Amino acid sequence: MRGALLIAKKEFLELSKDRKTLFFAFVLPFLLYPAIFGMMAKMAKRDEDQNRNKASRIYLADPSGAISGMLQADRKQFELVPKPEGDLKQALRDQKLDLALEADQGAAASLQRSETFTLAVTVDESEHTSELALKRVKDALKGQEKSWIQARLQTLGASSQLAEPLKLEVKNAADPTLEMGKVLGRILPYLLMIMMYTGSMQHGIYATAGEKERHTLLSLMATRLPRNQIILGKLLYIFSMGVIAALLNLLSMSLSIPFIGGGSTNSMQALAAVANPMTLGLTFMIMVPLGLFFSNFILLMGIQARNTIEAGSAITPGIFLVVFLGIFTMSPGVDKMAFLSYVPVVNVCLALRKLFSQQFNQMEYLVAFAMTVGLAALMTWVSTRILNREKALFKA
Amino acid sequence: MIQLNEVHKSFTVKDRKTRVTKRIDAVRGISLEVKPGEIYGLLGPNGAGKSTTLRMIAGLMEPDMGSIHVCGHETRQKPEAVRGCLGYLSTDMGVYVRFTPRELLRIFGEFQNVDPMIAERRGLHLLEKLQLADFADVKMEGFSSGQKQKVSIARALLHDPKVVIFDEPTTGLDVLTAKTVLDLLRIMREEGRTVIVSTHVMPMVEDICDRVGIIFDGKLHGDAPPLELLRSRGAKSLDEVFFQLAAESEGGN
Repeated sequence: MRGALLIAKKEFLELSKDRKTLFFAFVLPFLLYPAIFGMMAKMAKRDEDQNRNKASRIYLADPSGAISGMLQADRKQFELVPKPEGDLKQALRDQKLDLALEADQGAAASLQRSETFTLAVTVDESEHTSELALKRVKDALKGQEKSWIQARLQTLGASSQLAEPLKLEVKNAADPTLEMGKVLGRILPYLLMIMMYTGSMQHGIYATAGEKERHTLLSLMATRLPRNQIILGKLLYIFSMGVIAALLNLLSMSLSIPFIGGGSTNSMQALAAVANPMTLGLTFMIMVPLGLFFSNFILLMGIQARNTIEAGSAITPGIFLVVFLGIFTMSPGVDKMAFLSYVPVVNVCLALRKLFSQQFNQMEYLVAFAMTVGLAALMTWVSTRILNREKALFKA
Repeated sequence: MIQLNEVHKSFTVKDRKTRVTKRIDAVRGISLEVKPGEIYGLLGPNGAGKSTTLRMIAGLMEPDMGSIHVCGHETRQKPEAVRGCLGYLSTDMGVYVRFTPRELLRIFGEFQNVDPMIAERRGLHLLEKLQLADFADVKMEGFSSGQKQKVSIARALLHDPKVVIFDEPTTGLDVLTAKTVLDLLRIMREEGRTVIVSTHVMPMVEDICDRVGIIFDGKLHGDAPPLELLRSRGAKSLDEVFFQLAAESEGGN
């Protein structure tokens, strides 16, 4: 193992000489996430402020004046605009107005006769401002409708409870910790997988196909170090870089949470409760063999390639596979498919998902862990066997 | 110190157009012996099998048939022991340009299991011999190809190997640097090391080699001292011998 450690040390020393790569690998994550999260929060806040302070532009056709008074009274939320030229739908699509309301001609008379009238609404559901206008109108009408019903019941001399046989009382069973855990359990495995893979990728290409391209691999092979030790040393370096990348990105993300609007004290407390040492330890434990599996794949592709371009073309599609698997495991209902516990990589995501959402299943975790360890060991064996071949090393 | 006995090596290559797989016999039954204190020159055109032969001697490739012994070790059975007693240099070897020569030699000293103090002392001594001591702490990114070659030579000799294999050591070097390399080869002979040099430069072979072998199509021809080779062939120069053998080889094929 001494040889493998020496090779890994050489790789890290070489990395330490490249200031640019050091900056991108170790410093950038700590600048990037606060900047992205801060900007996102600022934009979301600006959008929210704009929407809150800006009245929805509504075209109202209400010849009998059944609801116009109600809308006119709330100038903060509604601004009644004249009928635009041409088609209403087109006017909405062109954002000349946010919503169009057309009440029956005899709406007021219908109300007086305690009958029903129709209010036709034209909305552009692809526009946030139009949807907001509809919500505001619905909220306003809800209150108005209630007072109309009460007036009608009063006229009939009936109790106001006549129209309300049931009062629904909803209590949220989920505590903030559980909610936070579910969100994290869905996103975290996906993020960790991508970070580990991409974190290993560039360094893996540099240390394998890059060595071939720079004609330095032969000088390593000409030393007394056994060939499998050279391969294991490279593997150790690629794996370490993946783990470091994932940890740094996660750390930076966690530190950046206060920059998001949601970084309230409650959510921070929930986050702290979810990210307890036990959960983080189990997460790290299962991510180690998964990272090793990824690193083996990168090593295998990288060292067999003739140059960095060929290695990049072979390794990059792996990102799409990782993204696909990650998104797949985020889908609702996936955790109920029992057979997925035996599908490699996917079972790691599912085990982590359950771990964070306080539904930890020891058996499922152990199966996922054992399978991933087995897979990583098999892949390491295959890698060293294949890469020991002259054909793989002298391909040029 | 180096013994090759009926060594064969072949490769399979695939023709991308016809999709036909062909077998190429790169080395066909080479036998030779190089003793301590001797410089052996291996000549041959491109693709003749020189580099493959040298790589097999260095334990980087395995022969398909036959056996190779270096420092008493069989290369297939103990490749690490072979590489431990051997210094190998090839023109297509690069250096880690992010390091300084001193750093590179320190790292390779560790790889070759040399005591760090000894590696430091020996590394500096070699850099001095190669007139590169002033650049010992300069990053190799801006080095010329000659300077990089000198660092590669120092790397190959750092662990004080008994056997030295230089595959085209003067290719791409200016006259002065090439002379430095040749002087170093002479010193190594005086120190009793076993040296094999592969080259295209005939005057260099006549000048420094004790014996010469010429490879054509994977076969070794004329394994003899340069003067003896000239006499037996009735030639005035090694170039002439080379052309004669090339013609014979073409005729044979």
